Amino acid sequence: MNSLLLNISLVFMVLSLIPCLYRIIKGPTIPDRVVAIDAMTTVIIVMLGVYSLLQNSVFFMDVALVLAIISFVGTVTISKYLDEGAVF
Amino acid sequence: MGSILDILSNIFLMIGIFFVFLGMLGLLRLPDIFNRLHATTKIGTIGAFGVMIAIVLKVGFTPMGIKAITVGLFLLLTAPVAAHMIARAAHRHGVGLCKESIIDEYGKTYK
Repeated sequence: MNSLLLNISLVFMVLSLIPCLYRIIKGPTIPDRVVAIDAMTTVIIVMLGVYSLLQNSVFFMDVALVLAIISFVGTVTISKYLDEGAVF
Repeated sequence: MGSILDILSNIFLMIGIFFVFLGMLGLLRLPDIFNRLHATTKIGTIGAFGVMIAIVLKVGFTPMGIKAITVGLFLLLTAPVAAHMIARAAHRHGVGLCKESIIDEYGKTYK
């Protein structure tokens, strides 16, 4: 029962990645693409958490933490570049 | 198997999945970047934190549970900061609002 619920949630999250790809390819401006990449990274983090629970393995949670840090740093860097024209 | 912690964990998991799906629907359908940002920030706060709370309730305070609550707290702290910075950068970069919006107070004070 629990495994069935986790598998159904994984299928829903994979289906939720399709609007992100659509918005990354077709988004009219650059900040649209940045927002879509940020949302897609968050969905992948949630998917890694559920997959770690499904596999009874701790290591996917480390990958989720590193991916969260990289996503935050990347979003802040791109927004500072768009705002001021230089990163530092 | 059918204890109350499992039932609570399943309820939190369903709440998280529902908010992830709703944020993706908003990202697909809303007309403006600020509206889309309003929808997708809910994935980072309620969706991810709900799923991580579900994992903690299911496995207890094992190493997986500690790491899950760490990831959840980190996302809860950093997702609004990232959303605020990208909205400010988009407004200063010159991305316009949609046609139905009626007031732009930040644009009036900034220029």
